[in-house]
Formats: sequence, C-alpha cells, structure tokens
Amino acid sequence: MCGISAVALLLCFISAQCGSPDASRLVEHTAQSFRDAVLSGKTSFIYFGKHVNPAIKAFIEQLEMSAHALEDYGIVVGKVNCSKDSVEKYCTGEEVMKKTYLFRGADVLRSFDIDTVFDVNAIVSHVLFSVLFTEVRYVHTPAELLAVERAAKGKMDIVMGHIQVLGLPEHRALMEAAFVYGAKYQFVQTTGAPLLKHLGVADPTSVQARLWFLHCRGVAHRSEPCPHTLMRKPLTTINIHTFLQLMEAPLLTEAAVDPDEVKVVYNHLNVPLLFLFTQSETLQLDRDTAESVARRLRGEVGVVLIHRDSHRVKTPLKHNAAYRLPQEEVRYFSLKKVEELIDLFREQLFQGTEEEEEEEEEEEEEEQDDRWSSLDVLDDEVAESVYRDRGVMLDTEAVTKLTAETFSAAVTQNGLMVVLFYVKWDAVCVAFLQSYVEVDDALDDVSGIELAYVDCGEWTVVCSDQNITSFPSVLLYRPSEVPQRYRGMLGTGSLHRFLLLSQVPSPTSLSSSAEVLSFLEGDLYNTNSALSPVRVLGLYSPADTDVVVFEEAAKSLRGETLLGLFVHEEAERWAEEHSVTLPALLVSRGPGILREAHSLHSSTPQELISYIQSTTLDPFGSNSCWTVSSRGLSRVCSSTTCFGALTAGHWRRGVSLPTRAPPAGRDHRPVAEENRRWPGAACRCGLRCRVGSPCALLRLPGCYGRRSAWVRGSAEP
Amino acid sequence: MELVLAFLCLLSFISLVLSVPGHHHGDNSTHHHDYCVLGAGPAGLQMGYFLSRSQRDYIILERNAGPGSFFQKYPRHRKLISINKIYTGRQNKEFNLRHDWNSLLSDRPDLLFQRVSRDLYPEADTYPLYLSMFESELGLKVKYRTDVGRIRASDLAGNKSYILTDQHGTDYKCRVLLVSTGLWVPEQVDFVGSDLVEGYESVSTDPEEYKDQAVLILGKGNSAFETAQSILGRASRIHLYSPSPVRLAWQTHYVGDLRAVNNELLDTYQLKSLDGLVEGGLEDIAIVHRKEQFYLTLSELLDGHDGNKGANITAENLPGYHDDNFSLRQPYDRVIRCLGFRFNFTIFDGLARLPHSTCARGRLPAVTAWYEGRGTSNLFILGTAAHSRDYRTSAGGFIHGFRYTVRAVHKVLEQRYHNNAWPATRLSTSQLLSWILKRVNEASGPYQMFGVLGDIILLQGAHCEYLEEFPVQALPHFSALSGRRISEHGLLVVVMQYGLNHTNTLGPGRAESEWTKAWKSNFLHPVIYYYPTLPTEKDMRQRPVGWPLPRPNAVHHMVEDFLTEWDQPISHSQPLRRFLEYCLKTDLRAFYAESCFRLSLTNHKPPLFCRQGYLNKEGFVGNSHLWQHAREAGLMPAHQGSVIPADDGLFSEYLPHAGAAVTSTIDFDL
Repeated sequence: MCGISAVALLLCFISAQCGSPDASRLVEHTAQSFRDAVLSGKTSFIYFGKHVNPAIKAFIEQLEMSAHALEDYGIVVGKVNCSKDSVEKYCTGEEVMKKTYLFRGADVLRSFDIDTVFDVNAIVSHVLFSVLFTEVRYVHTPAELLAVERAAKGKMDIVMGHIQVLGLPEHRALMEAAFVYGAKYQFVQTTGAPLLKHLGVADPTSVQARLWFLHCRGVAHRSEPCPHTLMRKPLTTINIHTFLQLMEAPLLTEAAVDPDEVKVVYNHLNVPLLFLFTQSETLQLDRDTAESVARRLRGEVGVVLIHRDSHRVKTPLKHNAAYRLPQEEVRYFSLKKVEELIDLFREQLFQGTEEEEEEEEEEEEEEQDDRWSSLDVLDDEVAESVYRDRGVMLDTEAVTKLTAETFSAAVTQNGLMVVLFYVKWDAVCVAFLQSYVEVDDALDDVSGIELAYVDCGEWTVVCSDQNITSFPSVLLYRPSEVPQRYRGMLGTGSLHRFLLLSQVPSPTSLSSSAEVLSFLEGDLYNTNSALSPVRVLGLYSPADTDVVVFEEAAKSLRGETLLGLFVHEEAERWAEEHSVTLPALLVSRGPGILREAHSLHSSTPQELISYIQSTTLDPFGSNSCWTVSSRGLSRVCSSTTCFGALTAGHWRRGVSLPTRAPPAGRDHRPVAEENRRWPGAACRCGLRCRVGSPCALLRLPGCYGRRSAWVRGSAEP
Repeated sequence: MELVLAFLCLLSFISLVLSVPGHHHGDNSTHHHDYCVLGAGPAGLQMGYFLSRSQRDYIILERNAGPGSFFQKYPRHRKLISINKIYTGRQNKEFNLRHDWNSLLSDRPDLLFQRVSRDLYPEADTYPLYLSMFESELGLKVKYRTDVGRIRASDLAGNKSYILTDQHGTDYKCRVLLVSTGLWVPEQVDFVGSDLVEGYESVSTDPEEYKDQAVLILGKGNSAFETAQSILGRASRIHLYSPSPVRLAWQTHYVGDLRAVNNELLDTYQLKSLDGLVEGGLEDIAIVHRKEQFYLTLSELLDGHDGNKGANITAENLPGYHDDNFSLRQPYDRVIRCLGFRFNFTIFDGLARLPHSTCARGRLPAVTAWYEGRGTSNLFILGTAAHSRDYRTSAGGFIHGFRYTVRAVHKVLEQRYHNNAWPATRLSTSQLLSWILKRVNEASGPYQMFGVLGDIILLQGAHCEYLEEFPVQALPHFSALSGRRISEHGLLVVVMQYGLNHTNTLGPGRAESEWTKAWKSNFLHPVIYYYPTLPTEKDMRQRPVGWPLPRPNAVHHMVEDFLTEWDQPISHSQPLRRFLEYCLKTDLRAFYAESCFRLSLTNHKPPLFCRQGYLNKEGFVGNSHLWQHAREAGLMPAHQGSVIPADDGLFSEYLPHAGAAVTSTIDFDL
C-alpha cells in the first residue's frame, strides 16, 4: 500500500473523528433491509433495541459517530428497532436491550455488550480487533512473543502495541494502523506486564500504552533476536503512521550539501533532522557514530551525515553538528559527547521548550544534581528509621548515663548492673536505645536490676577498658564477678526476659529431692516459668569434682536457661529413675511432660554449654520432620526437605548439625541450599511427614507458638 | 628474652669476647643495654615510657642535669607556640589530644601538660617542668650528666650494635640505639662577614637594647619573627631577609611555617610602618662594617677583597651605589641570624655515621619510613631529628606529631626484637563502618600525623583486623614490620589529609560541603584507600606528587567537616558504607530481625549484618515505631504475611500469655 494514500486515509479518519457528522451514516434497518444487508456478505455492526433510556440514547449517539468512522473500513453500522420490526433471535423480550452484534454475512463474528463498546473509540477498536482477529495476534507472555518473532524472522517486521485497557483511543489507533498496515507488518497486541519486562521496561505498572517496532525482517539467523525500537510519542493514529514510515526510511542519509539544502525521503513526515559532519579522514568512524546515534534516535529524529569535503558544504569548521526542527531554521552547535545529543533531543527539544546552550548545560548540571540527590536517600532501613526520628529526643532520663568517673563505682555496687555501650553514629545503637529504655520501664518495679549506658564516643577509655569492639554491646555486671556479655537478640522482649531470668542464681543449688522435684515441676521460681518452662538439672555425686565444670557452664548460661544443681547422695536415685548414670542432666519442659535425661561426658565448660544448649532446643522426632507452616502449608516430604527442615532448623538456631544418625534408608544430606529457603524451626506449626507422603498438619489449632501443646514421642502412627 | 634478642645477645657476646679480653661483668666502664635512648627530651622520654611499659632493658642517656634542656634556652623569648587547648567541650581523652600539642602519651589520664600550664601558649619554662614530672611519675630510667661524645658501631654478620662513649670514657653497649638528640646546633650559612652576625642562640632578649636601632634579621621562620616581634616596639626598622618568601602556617597547614602568633610584623610591613620582608640568597651576600654600622652587600661587589679585613669599604662596594633604590641600602645597627637548627652529626663515627637527608638543606639525617637510620640498622632516629620523612608537610618534627611516631617505632621494635606483632583489634566486618567512624572522629595520631600515620584494616572476609597508626610510607614492608599477614581480601588504609588543591584559605569556596564532591575537600579530612595487594616499593616511589600513598584501586574521601565530626548519616556514614561495600563486595546495611528473617528465607547468602547478628541469635529487633518508619520509607515490605511479631511489638501483651509457650530464647516471633 502506498504511503501517501495511507496518509490520506488516516487523515480522513481523523477529520471524521473530529468533525461532527452532518449526515448520519447510521442505517436504520427494517427486518427486510437487515436480511438483505446480511445476505450481501458485507460486514455490519448492528444494534437491536427497543426502549430508549438515557444510557441507550448516549450509546446511539456514539454509534452514529462510529458509523462514520467504520464506513471507511467497509463496515456498515446499523440499528434495528425491535418495537417496530422484530427480528428473530436478536430481538428478545427484554425492555432494555444491551447487545450489539458484528455480522460477517450471516455469521455473527462476535456480540458485544454495550458497556464494552461504550463510545466511538471502543466501538471502532473492538470492531476492528474482531475483524482483524486472525491478523492481529494477541500475546501475553514472552514465550508467545518469541513464537511470533520466530515465525516472522527474515519475512516481516512486527509492530507490537501494549494497551493497558481495551477500547481506549490508543487501542483504536493501534487497530486502525493494523487495518492499514496489516498486510505489511505482523501486528501484535498485548496487555500483559511480563512482556514489558521482557522488553526492558523496569516498572511495568507505570507504563502507559506503548508501541514497539521489532525489526525481524532483517534478521538472518533464527538464533538472533529481533532488535526493537520503542515509539516514544503518544499512541495516536498519526504518530503511529509517522513512526512506521520512519522505520522504513534509511537509518542514515548521507549528503554533500549544507544542512538547509538537505532533502530526505521522509521530508513530508516533518520529523526533526540531525546533521553530523564528516571528512574523508574520519569517515568510517563518523559513520559508525552517526549510525549508532541514528539507531538510538530512530523513530524520533532523522540523522544525516554531511561530507565536508564537498565544496558545496560551507558550514564553518567550528561546528560539527546541527539540527533542524520542523518549520524552523537550522541551528549549529558543537558536539562533545554522543550522550549530549541524545539528551538534547530527548530531554529538551521534545519537551517543547528550546533552550540556549548555556541553559542546556545548566540543566545538565541540574540533572546531575538530581542523580546525586537520589543518592542522598538512605537505603539502610535502620539508618533511615533512625534518621526519621532525628527531630525526636528520646527520653533517657530513667536510664543512668555513666561516665569515666562514675563507671567503676556503678559496676561494683550491689545487685545487677546492666550497661549498654553505644556510639551515637551507629543507627543500630540509637535504635536499640529505644528498646533499652523500654526494658528499663518494664523493670521499674523489679528491684536489684539497674540499667545504665555509656557513650563510647565520649568515654572512649571506659569502653576500650571493657574491650568493647562492637556496638551496641550489653554487659551485665555483678559484684566480684567477671562481666557477662549479653548474647541474645537485641530486642525489648528478649533482653527483658534475659534479665529476669538472670536474677535466678545459676546454678541453683538444690539440697533435697523435694527441692529437685519442685524445681523440675516449675514450682520453685514459679514466677519465671512464664519466661522459660525449660529447666535443666545437673545431677552429680558428692564425690565428683567435675561439678565445677557444670558450675562454670551454668554461670555462662545465666539468663538463657534455668539451671539447677543437685550434688547429693540421692542424685544416684534420680539418675537410676531416668535410667542414666551420673553425672547426668535432666531436662524438664514443664509439669506433666516427660523429662529427658542424658549422661554427661563433657569435660570442659565450653563443651557442656553447647551440650546444654542443644538439649534444651525443641526436640525433633527422629522419624518425623517438623516443618514450618504459618498458613497450613501442605508439603510433600522428600528426604531432603525432611532433613533439610531438621538441619536448617538447627542451622537457624546457630547450632551445629545434629549428630543423630539419619534413619535408615534416608538420604541425610547436609543443608541443601534450597532447603535454606524454609528453615523449619520457626515452628509455629508442627507438620509431620513421611517420605513421599504429604506433610500432615499435626495439630493446627493449638500450634501457633505453643510448642508444649504438641504431642511428643513416637512420630509415626 | 625472646628468640631474636637472644640471638643478638649471643652475637654480641661473641664479639665482646673477641674484642675485649677478660670478663665483661668485671669491666666497670662498660654497661650493656638492649635499648639505649640518647637524649631525655620529649622524644627520648616518650620512648622511655613505651620501653618501660613493655618492661625492656633500656637506659636514657642525657648530658644535662634535667630533661628537655633545649626548652630551658629555647625559644629565646620564652613563649611556646604549641597549642595547649584545655577546653574542647569534649570528655574524650583521645579526641582532646588533638588539641593538646604538648603532652606526651601515657596511660595516666592525668599526666597531661595542662597540669603545669593553663595558658594556650605556655611559658617555655613549664616544659622541662612537665618532662621532669613525666619522667619521675612514670619512673623512667634516665642517666643524667652523661655526655656521649662518640658513637661507634660494631657489625657482626650484618647485625649492628652500638658502643657509646661518654665524657668519663664509660662505654655503653647497646643492641638497639634510639637517637633522640633533637636539633640544637644553630644553622649557619657561610658568607662574607658572617662573623659579624649575632645568632638567635645568643642575641639579647631585652628589647631596650634595641632602642632606635635598625635591625636586619636573616631568616623568615618562627624564630626570626619571634625575635622581630619582641623588639617591634623599640627598634626603628626591622628587615627580614632570606631566600624564600614567608610561608604562613595557616595557609600551608604546616605548623613549622610562620605561626600567626608570631606574625605581628606582617601587619607593620603591610601597613607601611617601616618594617619589611625581602627575598634574596644568603650565600652571595656579604655583611660589611662601615662607620660602626653594618651594610648588606653582595660578595661580587667587594672586588675579591674580603671587605672586613684590610681595605676600607667604599661606596662602590655597596649596592645602593649601583642601584639607587636598592631596598636594603640603609645601614643596620645589628644583624641577627635566625636560621634554625641542625642535627649534630659529629658524634657518629665509622659504621655508625649517618647519611644526610636531601631535604631541609641536609640538616637532618636520612631515615627509612620506619625511622631507622639509612645504612645503620638497629639505630633509630626519634623526635625532631626524624622530621626528614615529612619535612614541611606534617607534624613529625613537633611534639604533637612525633609522640605518635615514637609509639609506632616502639611497635616496630616489639615485632622485630620480641616477636610481638603490631597490636590489632579484631572486628566483625559488620562493625567495621562504625569502627572507622569512631577512629576518624576521635583518633589523635592520624589527625596530627596526617598523611604519615594511617590506620590499616586487614580485610579477612567476615572479620577484619584493625591496626592503628602505621607509618604508611612503610607499607611495602608491612608484613615484616607488623608481623601480620595480608589476606587475599586486601587492605584499607585510613589517613587524614588536607586537599591538594591550593585555594585561597580564607576566600570563597575554600570549603566543600557537598559529600558528592568530597574529593575536592581542602581541609583535613579522612581518606580511605583500598588495595587488593600491598603496594610495592616501586609503587610507593612512583606515587603521584603530593599523595601520601600510591594510586589505590579505590579511594574514598569523607567530605571535610567544619566541626571535624564525621558522623552524619547522609554525608558521612552512608557514602563510606557504600565505599566499603564496593571494596568488600558485600552488603553492609543493617536490618531488623524481621527483614533478616525474610532475607534468610529468600537468599542463599543473607546480608552480612544478618549473618553476624540475627543468624547468630543476636539479631536486632527494633520496635513497631521504627518499623513504621522503615515501611513508610519503602525499605521494609508493608506486610510480612499473617504472622504477627509476638516479641517486641506486642511486648506487653505477650508476657501474660507466655504461659507454657516458648522454649528457646530465640524469638519465635518472626
């Protein structure tokens, strides 16, 4: 199809669209004329109506306008008044009829609800889309697009439109273009976001209607992708036309005359022209540059390479580039970087404002400033949240502020002195100070614990004397004891719990079997049962000297776990009862829950500490796997996920892999990477499973954080 | 005694047996020490303190009866120009040393110069007083009235030891010699009539003696201006003459240049009140005596005859005859030489002879980057005499600078002779940012010895080692000097620097406030260099002019700060963090436990902060107020699923329910 006639055609659509139709092209069918029209084989779009309410009236007005527009595509728009002539099948009994039909001959191509074809744009776009159904491909995923590309490679170029909502003017423009150029290009329509990502749009949600030209015809090899050009102007019929014409025009025009004399084949399209100058010495280089510029500005600006060697070129040497906007004079300038050019066209000329060069530079600088100012935004969530609080003075009155002068006296006084070491430039420290003050508040009525803090930015010697190398640090001081470092979560709850538990001596020396029972059943220190139902008891015979190891370990675990120590003749009886030998460890998880017993073999406090830590963890049934689920997630249990869950759980707790051997016949791999994605031990819910079978929810209602509600013991029924 | 010294000991024992027949313990006139410190000035006592703290066998030899004898005479007009700023508004001892130029380093918090003087520019007599206090309170071993006149070296298998002989002929055999004799020989320039010139060291300090006299002072340094300033109200005319123009300390940032405290003459010169400055060479001039007055002339005008002997000086011998508006055509009543001091090279003999440094007109001995004499191993130069390393750039020639270089040398000694590696603080890499900020905000060593001493950070993946105040010029020999190894992760060097661009120090645009243009900073600011491998000696030699270090793989300037507080989140902390992230190739941001949990579920390798905190059961929880901020900023997802954090957000509600619930201290709340 010849370009000029296409323009004429398109221009006449526009005039039709804009001008009000003086004579209505809407055909009023009788039953007879409807039958004739259908028999003629023409495509027609017909509304069958009866009662006219305001909504229908408005629709009929739009229908009349579309009759004008669709006439050019050989589609007759008509209506049938069912109250006068009843047409079978289409005139239904309803009072208000809301259906329109698109006929090709006697066949109904499609029927539309008038809510869908609500105005002239919607009517035209939907009708054309239906008519062109076979020609315009509708794709949604990148894979579908690749299939279309594959078919088109080496044969024809593809025009792809992204339309957010069907029936809008952009959709109409695309459909009209498809109607005109359908034979020449493969048209593709999409509404999907995945494709936009595929085409390199960073944020698909913000994208308006867009159009790409995929240069597939020139692609020789199947493996190569089709290069694409994005149309940067709004999707209107005239813009699409200009764009498609430019896609056909040569990428780079070469000339040997001054810019104002240059004629290009697409002169009639009124696009801006960019002139770059070259001489024979640098021709190849300049041509490459010009081509790359042309490629980047394709569809927006025509690029002309002018050979300076020609005597007809009189442009002074100080300029190496020029541009001409439609209906304007040529402007000369000197170019330093290609980027400037792209900016010049993209940012300035197309914004409608034309700047002098100095201003352009300024703008560039501003733009740079903008780029920097985005770097001024804090991207650290803790730093940012602290920064947002910079206007707020935290009330730290209640917490003692220690100095070099007061420090040593404070930490040697009676009771527990808790000291936070912080620096004010560390966001975590500043944020944690809030939690610290909260803990102080919560401990207001607890005697024997005092909270204080030291600013290490000011009292640097105090902090270095205490070997503080990480901020924030919380140290617990008791008279004549080595300071204990708090190693738990830096949060109000964790620290609060820790400090309360720290009040209990560790280990608690028990002197009789009655006390042991009371300790294990949670009666002793019952106020702390709320904090930690787990109690660990060391059983030693009076002769055993290793008891110091336990004492040492218990000291380190103070605040973490409640530890009792029973050094007594009767210890033997307790051990026998639990069928272990002395020295032994009894772990109680609350009254009524079966106690666990372990013989102790650890010789150093460090070994014993990690042993106690691992025994106090939630036990995992040896034949079952307990996995995480907060939403009743059901999962088929494979051997790896099963053990992944188990091991990952330990991993999350910072404990080494379990030493327990995996059950026979199961593959016990180390924490596979994929299993890290669901470390099981967060355990809000117990799931248990057998290999290959779906994980069964053990007990859904009570499982939210209520570990003790689970049934322990043998896992598989 | 450690292995190395034991070996040295053996060597010297053998040499002793070879050279001196008889048993050395019986020889009264020979003393043996591992370390001999020559001179009980500030540098000698400073080294004495470190040696005594590490319990080394040392002796400080001093020829005078008390410490710091230089200060008993100098400065002649008895005003110290080293700043003694007592009130800084801060309590940080380390920070306050940035503004205390007189104190020596010790672990006694009260052993500071402010105990003897409260003046910003203290009386010079207070300095020996301070040094005596320092010496006696720390119990340093000083042998006074021991005037070492000769130093020889004995070289056995390339290992030098030193023999010092005092005025009584007593020998001191030293395995390591630490020379802290300072600069005290007045610098003289040989020209015709130089004998007619009075010296700064002996000139009268009584202004009345200068009443209505015209005075020519040779030199334009602090001693020249100090002398001029004292007679400003009495002398009729004061002219200062030297080859180079005045360099103002407040323009050059070099404290050895003319200090504003001494520069009143600049006023009287620029306001045309009969004083003036003139530039000209010293070697070609002649001072001639004519009619009880002195004239400055050029030696070439004397027609070969020595003007002051024999033939009378005629008008033709004076420049005013040839050039009628010659600036210095008028006669002077006095000519005073104020050209500074030089190192006493004369006592070093034979193998102990010290080469002259090329800078400072050869007044200083040449030393290595770790202050060992060039060619004289086991002999170190401390104090002012070691200034050739940073002459006219940093503070190595001044107490507030060399107290740190002495400390650095001591660490080198500890490593070399006792196998004690350079002290290092081991840090989690997630703590590195905070630690660097701590150092740049308080450290006095790199602040005073800018461009010379820098902190070295040895990157080792999840951890790093932080070494303080290493002489950065010695980086190519880092491993040998510090006893620490560089891992494949490379190293960072933190130094303080002034800008290299020369700008008008008081003019507009003198300071940069945009962090994005931090590299343009003019005032002292921290600069961090990143090297994947140690720079070589060649890299060091070929470094760009004015740079303290060779071109690194990455460099970060922290923008200069008017208050010298580099702790702001947007301008200081975040850019530094991004730089560290670039060098360490890891995310160094901090995260709330909630985010760490999410990241741990969705990433093979959660961020370092989470790995070293949260996954270690030491995560940082925060509270709902802070989370709200983070969510509003779009840094935390608005909803973390249906799970409600039970721990901290709902802290108070949580406790009553806790009944029989939680079994572990780790939070179930995520």
